[in-house]
Amino acid sequence: MAAQERPTIRSRPLTLVHEIPIARIKRFWDGLKEGKVYATKCKKCGQLYYPPQVDCFKCLGSDVEWVALSDEGVIETFTESHLKPQGFTHYEEPYIIAIARTPEGAKVMGWLEGISADKARVGLKVKITTTIKPDGYPAIVFKPAETS
Amino acid sequence: MVDTAVAIGVEKMLEVDTLTSTAVGGRGGNYLWEFHMFGTSFAAYYALFATAHMAKFGTTEEDLALVAVKNHKYGAMNPKAHFQREIKVEDVLKSRVVARPLKLYDCCPISDGAAAVILASEEKVKELKVEDPVWIEAIGFSSDTSSLSRRMDYVGLPAATQAAQMAYKIAKVGPKDIDFAEVHDCFTIAEIMAYEDLGFCKKGEGAKMIREGETYIGGRIPVNVDGGLKAKGHPLGATGCSMVYEVTKQLRNEGGRRQVPLKNYVALTHNVGGHGFYVYVMIFRR
Repeated sequence: MAAQERPTIRSRPLTLVHEIPIARIKRFWDGLKEGKVYATKCKKCGQLYYPPQVDCFKCLGSDVEWVALSDEGVIETFTESHLKPQGFTHYEEPYIIAIARTPEGAKVMGWLEGISADKARVGLKVKITTTIKPDGYPAIVFKPAETS
Repeated sequence: MVDTAVAIGVEKMLEVDTLTSTAVGGRGGNYLWEFHMFGTSFAAYYALFATAHMAKFGTTEEDLALVAVKNHKYGAMNPKAHFQREIKVEDVLKSRVVARPLKLYDCCPISDGAAAVILASEEKVKELKVEDPVWIEAIGFSSDTSSLSRRMDYVGLPAATQAAQMAYKIAKVGPKDIDFAEVHDCFTIAEIMAYEDLGFCKKGEGAKMIREGETYIGGRIPVNVDGGLKAKGHPLGATGCSMVYEVTKQLRNEGGRRQVPLKNYVALTHNVGGHGFYVYVMIFRR
């Protein structure tokens, strides 16, 4: 229906920015600055958690150790996203969102860089790295480990 | 307890621009580990499923497009649909990329809409002498993690499989007894995965079903003959009730030129929250 048939008035904008508490998972965020991706492992039952969490839903314990995941991964799936939601519009378009499996069996989400979406494929071996983007947000970045 | 109730589903999604809507939606996924860090929209989420499904089972972009073609065909026959125009496979393939391999015509639109369902107890139905009731035979439900890192794979929604099994067990029917279904085709890949998760075919054979026209009217099990989320529209809060509306009309033989043939007078709805965080499968009988 044409806009003139349904007149509207524009609202005042609302900006919502949260300070998200990370006290119990600070190690993960510190790790990103050190180039490491941390998972947690329950000291009692050995369950590995990625994304990390400090309460074990398997044995209900809360005593975990922080373990840095291997920097080797294999791509399980990916998408080149041309759609940038509000909050991501300043990034170079498009970005490739991917999930890589590490030798520990953790499945890590990251941005796949250094390869075009045409050449990316399920099964691609990648190096798992971390970076701080120019806007200050940390990110996990996969880079092809193979030369194509 | 009440013996009659009205369930109203309503959503107005068109008051904000697409990028805001996409962000509000994407935040409804896994916020901290996925949206916050990597800008995952729902199109991106389902694209991750599509890539995995294509790699594992050989599903193609043309197969995905066939779902859109079918649902637009029925949308064009539904005066309540958001999109009422037929499209061709090449229209889908040529439409702009949203999240590879999903293109614009693989995605449901952002819609306004409302639907309502009147529910009544068996006693009340008899007391009121309701002429042509449609009975809820079963409601199956299951849930799953919102974190893709914690899924076994990306080729289906385990919560859908579990919800379907629960519903079939309660209703004492199987996939073969279902005359037609309304499934959550928010993206074309979602419909193909639904065929498999609901047991309409084996895992990995969903694309074959659409290729062979099995989910058209006249096929083995017609799916989304109201246009589905894809063409009818997906005003989130109204989608579930709108599925029940369509099932009720069809079971009463009031589908008009979209009427499906009825053998057992048994129908199924499949509605998904998030990318499979929770799934309801309902079975209806007249």
